[in-house]
Amino acid sequence: MVESYISIFILGGAIALAIILMSVFFIIKAVRRAKQIGMDKKIIKDTIRSGAVFSIVPSIPIVIGIGILMQSLGLAIPWIRLTVIGALQYELIAMNQAQSALNASGGYSQEVFIATATVIMTLSIISGPVFNAIFYKKYQNKLAALQEKNGKLMNTVTGALLGGLLAGMLSSILVGGIFSIGHPVTDGTGATTYGEVTIITLVSGMIIMGLCGVVLKVFKQKWIESYALPITILGALAIAYAFTATGVFA
Amino acid sequence: MRKQKQEILTASEYNNKMHSTGRIFTWIALGLIMLVPVIYCLEAKVLPDGEAILKSLPFLLGYLAIGLVESISYAPLLGTAGQYMSFITGNISNLKLPCAINAQTLTKVKPGTEEQEIVTTIAIAVSTIVTTIIIIIGLVPLFFFREQIVGVLSPISPYVIPAIFGGLTLVLIAQYYKIALIPFAACIIICVVGNLLGFGTSLGQSTMVLVGMAVSGISTTILYKKKKI
Repeated sequence: MVESYISIFILGGAIALAIILMSVFFIIKAVRRAKQIGMDKKIIKDTIRSGAVFSIVPSIPIVIGIGILMQSLGLAIPWIRLTVIGALQYELIAMNQAQSALNASGGYSQEVFIATATVIMTLSIISGPVFNAIFYKKYQNKLAALQEKNGKLMNTVTGALLGGLLAGMLSSILVGGIFSIGHPVTDGTGATTYGEVTIITLVSGMIIMGLCGVVLKVFKQKWIESYALPITILGALAIAYAFTATGVFA
Repeated sequence: MRKQKQEILTASEYNNKMHSTGRIFTWIALGLIMLVPVIYCLEAKVLPDGEAILKSLPFLLGYLAIGLVESISYAPLLGTAGQYMSFITGNISNLKLPCAINAQTLTKVKPGTEEQEIVTTIAIAVSTIVTTIIIIIGLVPLFFFREQIVGVLSPISPYVIPAIFGGLTLVLIAQYYKIALIPFAACIIICVVGNLLGFGTSLGQSTMVLVGMAVSGISTTILYKKKKI
């Protein structure tokens, strides 16, 4: 395995600490503000609980992502990359880009590869944060002016973005799933996606969420509202695991 | 009493404070992330390959454009503090945004209100802490049992997003079906044609989310002007 320098681990620790401090700071500010404007404490408690419970399962693929990237970059660099800004699919493509550019240039050492890959990975993801640091306030002021001038239009724009997000995600999952039925796709991480399991997981998620709705509305079990999405994710993933572990579609 | 009164900010002042704090943390994060290649090069006593970086310029420009489009289009959904935190910590469409949407739906806060901003901020901040801690906890077993952990868990990792969006779709569909119908039909057509023409792999989730948002923006504006929504 590629070794990591202690100094990079120390830098990673500093970054993780900064991220946690930032989050705690924003939570304190938001909770204080909620008190000032007289928000119900229950809303705050429900938000904290749902945010924490929801985030556990989707965080696991990030840990797996570190496991995948560490083969080429060691443990410390993927840890930092996936703690700040990065997402596995972007990081992997950026790393492969570095590798193919180096391959075209001729021979190279592992150290040169890691140095080049981290430069490309770093430069490729900075536009979002730089935009936020320089232009976001002005951009948001324009959005706020629109909200004040025509609140209905602004709410429609926000709805349009959410609807678009949903439409884009669902179409990609559905069509990607259907087209890979019988033709499993192995990505750069080495993970194989079976179209059948993708569709089954999507439909299972809908059915389990529907059942949670029945428990909430028909059986008046209010507690399930906070846990419906985590239960859905876990249930759908358990079904996906059952199909992948038994190798039905392999 | 007087002092307490002075501390109560207007919504605009509170928002400005969130911007100032967000900017500071963004610059700190950018500085720290830039240090990674610098420290690596100093430790390993190597320089990155300049020719390979130059060859990657078109790729870099493409990625920079995607980042820019993402930050513009996600902004109305993530709120002020949420936007800064999400773009510092990443994993937006697969973690931060679904987490915020879930909290907003659960607490039934009205769109565009300060309550929604507060709920979104707390949800994304809590999510960030949980993810950071899970990653740190995962490092030790990863170091010793990488093969086993990746071997057991990686087969289900491609199905996490279908599991999340299966559940979220049912929650959001009643609210957004009128808006989502046209972009959904358009995205399906684009994906089917793309797959038939053999470039289906280029139409991944992150690409299609941006396509869906663009189509939705156009179709919803038309529907709004015709007073159909």
